[in-house]
Amino acid sequence: MFLKKQTAAVMFLLGISCAPLLAPGTANAIPAFSRQHKTECSTCHTIYPELNEFGDAFLKNGYVYPHKKEGAKGGAQGAEPGNEWSVISGLPQQLPVSLTASADLAYDEDAADGNKLDLSTRSITLQAGGSFRDLFGFFATYNLYSQGMQRASSLLNPANNTNVPPGNDPDLDELFLVWRQAFGSPVNVKVGRFEPKLSMWKKSNRILPVPSYASTTYRVGLSPFSSDATEDGVELNALLGNRLFVAAGVVDRNGQDREDGYGHISLKIGGTDLKGKEPEVDLEKDSVWDFLSVTLGGFGYWGQNGEFNANGVAQNLNNFRRIGAEADILYQRLHLKGSGSFGRDSNPEFASFDAVVDSKAYTLEGEYYLGAPVNLVPLFRYEYLNAGYGTIKRLTPAIAYSPLQNVRMSVEYTHSIAPEGTGNIAFASIAFSL
Amino acid sequence: MKKLVVTMLLVAATATTAHAGLRVVGKGDAMRLDPTSFPPAMKANYEIVRVKCVKCHTLERTIVAIQTGVAPISGQPFDRNATKAYGIKMLRKPDSNMNKAEVKASVELMNYLLTEAEK
Repeated sequence: MFLKKQTAAVMFLLGISCAPLLAPGTANAIPAFSRQHKTECSTCHTIYPELNEFGDAFLKNGYVYPHKKEGAKGGAQGAEPGNEWSVISGLPQQLPVSLTASADLAYDEDAADGNKLDLSTRSITLQAGGSFRDLFGFFATYNLYSQGMQRASSLLNPANNTNVPPGNDPDLDELFLVWRQAFGSPVNVKVGRFEPKLSMWKKSNRILPVPSYASTTYRVGLSPFSSDATEDGVELNALLGNRLFVAAGVVDRNGQDREDGYGHISLKIGGTDLKGKEPEVDLEKDSVWDFLSVTLGGFGYWGQNGEFNANGVAQNLNNFRRIGAEADILYQRLHLKGSGSFGRDSNPEFASFDAVVDSKAYTLEGEYYLGAPVNLVPLFRYEYLNAGYGTIKRLTPAIAYSPLQNVRMSVEYTHSIAPEGTGNIAFASIAFSL
Repeated sequence: MKKLVVTMLLVAATATTAHAGLRVVGKGDAMRLDPTSFPPAMKANYEIVRVKCVKCHTLERTIVAIQTGVAPISGQPFDRNATKAYGIKMLRKPDSNMNKAEVKASVELMNYLLTEAEK
């Protein structure tokens, strides 16, 4: 009986951990920004949705073009005749809305239903983003439609994880407002539903959003928490000295009166600074720092969850924490990313008696941009996960191609090694934004 | 009479210089510079810009920035400091496919064009 229960738990965990393989993820590259600033997608992206250094500065600057002259005042002074209404009201001159669509093909030789080849996976996501007079930034993503794939909303207990009240539609992935440099300070105040700033990269900030990194997506036991889930919260973040980024926030989880807390710190050495200013490069001489940038980061999250009773109150509580460290190294066309996370859950099975589980996960990824004339990126990812029920390793070679800046095609293959055997999944995807 | 002819010639020469600026061909996305009056080194630099820079943006953006002295997207001054900063930005873009020598040539051309535009 015990063995059966343990086997079931392992299978469940494996299923959960592999679920992202079939999930399209949310591509947060949005052409609304391109239209607003009348610039090409490659200003902020390598192959979308992955951000380049300038795109990262744009994100950290609250969706306002970095080093724009005098911020909000500059916008008013630069108003063209006939656009006064826009300046006075603070409204963007055009509706800042975008759509991203994806169609996928998955081949799973171990498909439970025998349907090894699946072409019926697709999604459409609505996005909005921009700024109001450079004083406020905003961003929203809404899953309009998806078919044939597992998503957070189809996993067990999604309400606990994504912090949506029971009975509500969880398809609103993000909706938040950033009060930029509140009261003239360097502190930005972010309020709404968003991905708490833990990892250096948003889950969409990758050439291959699917599968997402094990180090930031893994779950333990029945606890639906993962460190990249969107949640309702308030976050303060700030750029200090142009190269240090700090963030701290609280998450208001439903069903309990205690808030979760988290913090993030990252330091960038070399390269474009976090405000988008280019480094000083001697065009006459060569230096390793001409092309090298290293960003180091760390994060921590402390929280509590449980399963809801009939009154919507969390019970059989699980206290959990995650501690992580990350590194991002960019040298010319080579991009290396490393992410590791350690965790402890006091009662991830939501049982009457606590059974502590320690967990750890690592992800290493290397990408190489072939660049012009072919925007092709081969990459390789290695992942290690032990969420308390045995070790799972994943090896993913992949290639992504962007024939146009708003179209991305990718082919990837994942070989998984788990206690109960190995598995192979091939995944092809085409996505476009408009 | 002789004085009048000399004076007229001087006026004509001054007028020609005042309207020299940048010789631009075409409009919008098709806008190009006319490099016939460029020194040989700048002609070579222009070839690099004409081929490499249009991978990501039109030449119109560069020409407008030089003509107005303002970068059209950021609204920042487009001066000699800016040309180098933009050059470095392109150099560091993984997909720009520009090496340091090509960026240096592009920056030199933009600085030359800024000087010409000021005349």
